[in-house]
Amino acid sequence: MAFLEINGLRKRFGSVEILKGIDLDLEKGGFLVLVGPSGCGKSTLLNTIAGLETITEGEIRVDGRTINDLHPSKRDIAMVFQSYALYPNMTVAGNIAFGMEMRGVPAAERQKAIDKVAKVLQIGHLLQRKPSQLSGGQRQRVAMGRALVRDPKLFLFDEPLSNLDAKLRVDMRIEIKRLHATTGTTIVYVTHDQIEAMTLATKIAVMRDGEVQQFGTPAEIYNNPTNLFVADFMGSPAMNLIPATIGGNGNALSVVLQREAREPISLPLADAPTGLSAFHSKPIIFGVRPEALTDPEGAERNASNIATADCHIEVVEPAGSDTFAVTNLGGKAVVARLRADANIQPGTVTPLAFNLTKAVFFDPATENRIL
Amino acid sequence: MSAIATPARQSTGGISARTVNRIVIYGLLALFALFYLMPLFVMLVTSFKTMDEIQNGNMLALPQAPTFEPWLKAWGETCVGLTCAGIKGYFWNSIKMVVPAVLISTLLGALNGYVLTKWRFRGHTLVFGLMLFACFIPFQSVLLPMATILGSLGRFGVTLRNATGFSFGLGNPTVNLVFVHVVYGLGFTTLFFRNYYEAFPTELVKAAQVDGASFFQIFRRIMLPNSMPIFVVTVIYQFTNIWNDFLFASAYAGTGDAMPMTVALNNVVNTSTGVVEYNVNMAAAMIAALPTLLVYVVAGRYFVRGLMAGAVKG
Repeated sequence: MAFLEINGLRKRFGSVEILKGIDLDLEKGGFLVLVGPSGCGKSTLLNTIAGLETITEGEIRVDGRTINDLHPSKRDIAMVFQSYALYPNMTVAGNIAFGMEMRGVPAAERQKAIDKVAKVLQIGHLLQRKPSQLSGGQRQRVAMGRALVRDPKLFLFDEPLSNLDAKLRVDMRIEIKRLHATTGTTIVYVTHDQIEAMTLATKIAVMRDGEVQQFGTPAEIYNNPTNLFVADFMGSPAMNLIPATIGGNGNALSVVLQREAREPISLPLADAPTGLSAFHSKPIIFGVRPEALTDPEGAERNASNIATADCHIEVVEPAGSDTFAVTNLGGKAVVARLRADANIQPGTVTPLAFNLTKAVFFDPATENRIL
Repeated sequence: MSAIATPARQSTGGISARTVNRIVIYGLLALFALFYLMPLFVMLVTSFKTMDEIQNGNMLALPQAPTFEPWLKAWGETCVGLTCAGIKGYFWNSIKMVVPAVLISTLLGALNGYVLTKWRFRGHTLVFGLMLFACFIPFQSVLLPMATILGSLGRFGVTLRNATGFSFGLGNPTVNLVFVHVVYGLGFTTLFFRNYYEAFPTELVKAAQVDGASFFQIFRRIMLPNSMPIFVVTVIYQFTNIWNDFLFASAYAGTGDAMPMTVALNNVVNTSTGVVEYNVNMAAAMIAALPTLLVYVVAGRYFVRGLMAGAVKG
């Protein structure tokens, strides 16, 4: 039995359904990231777990105990808010101890707990300051301290890094990951940043319009997206989703990509998914990640199915660690990821290697993956 | 933009348009300020003059021999109606009425604002709309209904006293006035606090809920300590209004020992025995105005800050 179980959870505001039957589970010590665009219901879902919003239908269980109707303070959870939500009138120590104070923990014990958390988060020198005297990163730390000090069964994070600048966000991300590794706590984390989702999670739930689109490990989500939305949402730069048709015959299917003022490219598929034969000479969406589309020398050596085609390079973007080249296939701008020192010039025709083992195919009508 | 334009214009010689504008603006402001402060000046200088000097001298002239006599007389000896014991008793009457009325209405307003923003219920906008409407009810229209209600409360008080030996303040004119001012002030105090708490981060309330704080614990520990600016605004507003109120005071406590300062001052000025003592009247009026002035001086800097709160940053 999973540590956190969410079964058939629905949430309605009047006639509007915000959450349309969510089923999720998470093992003890796991790190679940709820990711999706704004308005997808991920924060609402987190709030229902916290007990800050009621649910219309379904069940939430933590460690075998149904917590649906419990008050937030009785659920044995701790939450870190987007704005940190530090009480401005209290010192850092007061903030961290407020929950214990409310539960009537004696002062000496509170002090001991504060000191312990302050040591873990290295905020000992800040304890007597007010939140307004802290920097963004320090506030974030204090907010985590307030959650840590409760030693709860479940940690909830609501977009905790979105108010920080880019560099600090990366630092804090690593810090959260380290915290998770050292304390072994179970975490549910909401973000709209897919990189945070990929780097932190042991399980990701990609959400849209109140539904879970895909639930799985980061690798599953990244490599085997179940539909166009997940494929498009996860990964940066985003997966190339190119309108194409299926050509070839029998066991030797191929993907045909139209090009402007040139003859189409035909890429032979060695181990095409079985469902693909039904789409012969029909339109499909061909999905290939930028790193699976590269210069022939940089292509993965042990990939079984690599096809090379000459492409007209329109734009070259050297990004330091990589060089991105933009070409046009099927009427869409397609991004290829090359080695930083790849010798490539805009306006030239250069061979690019398609790693077709990593390619995925979607039905344009249903937007679902063709397997 | 003007900072860039000005040097260019000045270099062409003559007085720039900007300087002329400044002179006109400051000149007008000074004129208005003078106009506004003139009565206060006259009151102040007159209250330090002897009667001789008032009758023979210029109204605007400074006192030749400043004396505190009129102030002392106004405080302790002047006649209010038929009793001649000064206005000090009435001053305390006002204090006894204003302090509880201000505190109760402010706290209830804060509680209302807290509920209307952080514990919303079905129909909360309607309730707020009705509270807002209370701000626009003219005083005159509630005068008679309120008198009826206060009369009933008074009779109930008599019944209570007969039954228990204690009237619980019902029927006491001071308690009546506190009641009237609390009811009348609720609309305004609720409006102030609701608008302030609207911009107050809800995540703080949620965090406190997760921390296990109850409804009133959140109010007392999280909301109130972070409400200083609006608290000051409300207190100043309520204090000024209730202290200066004459209509309710004269209608419900216009005679007898509970008469507030405003009514007493009117009676001082209207007492028609012998010479009209302008200096004493002016001193009495100054004494009546002092508490509101004091509140402004002490808390005034929070006033603007509180009024602006939420206006700039949401």
